[in-house]
Amino acid sequence: MLAILRDLLRYNREFAAGTVLTAIVVGMAVLSAFSPYPPGDIYVVAPDLPPSWDHPFGTTSQGQDTFWLLTYALRNTLLFGFSVAILSRLISLLVGMLSGYKGGATDRVLMSINDTFIVMPLFPLLVLFYFVMRDDMTWALLALVMALLGWAYDARLIRSVMMSLRTREFTRTAVFSGMRTDQIVIREHMPYVLPIVFSTTLNNINWSIGLEVTLSVLGFTDIETPTVGTMIFWANQHSALVFGTWWWVVFPTLLVTVTFIGLFLLAVSMNEYIDPRSRLSRMGGGVA
Amino acid sequence: MPAEATGQGAGPVLTVRNLRAYYQMRYFGIFREVRAVDDISLEIGRNEIYGLAGESSSGKTSFIKAIAAANRPPLNIVGGSVRYSFLDRDIFRLDPQTLAAVRWKHLGYIMQGSMNVLNPVRRIRESFVDFAFRHIGLPKAQFFALVAAHLERLHLPPDVLRAYPHELSGGMRQRVTIALATICRPEFIIADEPTTALDVVVQKGVLGMIREAQQEIGSSILFVTHDMAVHANMADRLGIMYAGRLVEEGPTRTIFAEPLHPYTAHLIQSLPRIGDLAPKKALGGAPPNLAEPPPGCRFHPRCPLAMDICRRETPALTTLAPGHRVACFAASPEVRPAPPDEDAGRADGREAALQPAEGR
Repeated sequence: MLAILRDLLRYNREFAAGTVLTAIVVGMAVLSAFSPYPPGDIYVVAPDLPPSWDHPFGTTSQGQDTFWLLTYALRNTLLFGFSVAILSRLISLLVGMLSGYKGGATDRVLMSINDTFIVMPLFPLLVLFYFVMRDDMTWALLALVMALLGWAYDARLIRSVMMSLRTREFTRTAVFSGMRTDQIVIREHMPYVLPIVFSTTLNNINWSIGLEVTLSVLGFTDIETPTVGTMIFWANQHSALVFGTWWWVVFPTLLVTVTFIGLFLLAVSMNEYIDPRSRLSRMGGGVA
Repeated sequence: MPAEATGQGAGPVLTVRNLRAYYQMRYFGIFREVRAVDDISLEIGRNEIYGLAGESSSGKTSFIKAIAAANRPPLNIVGGSVRYSFLDRDIFRLDPQTLAAVRWKHLGYIMQGSMNVLNPVRRIRESFVDFAFRHIGLPKAQFFALVAAHLERLHLPPDVLRAYPHELSGGMRQRVTIALATICRPEFIIADEPTTALDVVVQKGVLGMIREAQQEIGSSILFVTHDMAVHANMADRLGIMYAGRLVEEGPTRTIFAEPLHPYTAHLIQSLPRIGDLAPKKALGGAPPNLAEPPPGCRFHPRCPLAMDICRRETPALTTLAPGHRVACFAASPEVRPAPPDEDAGRADGREAALQPAEGR
């Protein structure tokens, strides 16, 4: 595993760049543990100060230090992305593997549900969801709803892989040797499916962060929890760009962009890991 | 069936009686039946290598799927029985748990295209655990000692256990597959074209290894391939399949020296011999469509010796010499259609009854 990471870092510039960018974002999120100010408190510093040595990202009109607020915002945003990705991955693995391996009626029922989720327009649905929930809307609830909406594409992908695996000789041999279905699926097929899932996980994190930021900027989420989106929402509420406190908008936007690019590059270079042939050709090892 | 076909040792390991396995499908309300295995009876003795030959689509693979009870719809067992000496009853009457316990432990199976039997994302060592650990019932350490000893006997280096399948050559993978199928020392091994994708040099090594493994554990092998040269090297006895039926069976030497069925004769003649420069004659026509097999002997449309009776009646598999059975009217004037009380006769009556329905 370490050797693979070293090779990826050395021979794959996308991976190296993605690692650095993601490390910056994750590092800032970790710094939230050392913040001198609790995230909920306002007017702890002088408002509307431009970036300086004391306040590297300036201060907000609410009297918060933008840098330390942003560390909390990034932490929440990343956690949000991870929770959505992991929850939705569990659903898509379950549905995809069951559907692909069982086939027949199970497959038809699960895939008709799956396709329903694929064609559902997510954004209006989430906005509607906010108007139904209003003040009961929490960060965790939104993550759960997004996970329930975001599994369908990957379930289809996993299903197609499983359908191909099911007909391979090694599956038939495993069945013949008397392995139980759950053993076959978990021990023989899971190692095949997991790298693919891993690559789509990063994309799914990006997708959920993007949607969360969009909803938050418009105020359709729990605006009391600091996330990158709600920071921009509050900045807009205080007309930051008109008022000239540009740092309140620019730094969150910049860092969420860095997050996107970093995760995207990681996802792209993950394909190199999944397909060792392209990794070898990059290292100059010829065609495997 | 008479018991004259038994090989060495006491009692056959495998007894197949009147086995019929058809692909049964219903497309848009029309029922179609492909008779891939039609009324086959044979016995395989202890410590014997039985070769099953026949061209593509003659029903070889369907036959072995059926006798391993590994058939899946649309291939259904229509009739007959398959008994193994290590089972107390017909394999089709076993409950799924018993069947799962018996397979691999007593009944090994080297599958067709066995280059792909190994999971590409699992190390060889894990494949051994997955397939065999449960059947052997030893603690892990002893199990791996056993595996290592087994690999050594088959001249495989122990470090293949740490390798992934793609790190091994085709021949190596094939050897590992054979090691996997023989680790439990099964009494009976089915080998479905185990050397088809290999070049002749590797093939020779793999065949030698199968023989070695067979002699070492004393099991019987049903060896299936269309390659007559491989059969000449491997098989003690040979069965020739044509269009879902067994047309001739006998000791390998006898079959090669004096084939009685015209189809077998053609097969043998097609083999190249050193110094023989005469062009080989191709057999005209193609194997029949098994959904609508020709009436009577299924070989008659291509047979140079076809007579009137061949078009009307199905020849029974009859013993002509000790251990040598053939289903052909031309092979011997005494061969008559089997009387109706015998098994083959039943199949005749059945076919005759079905014929009007087949006229589409």
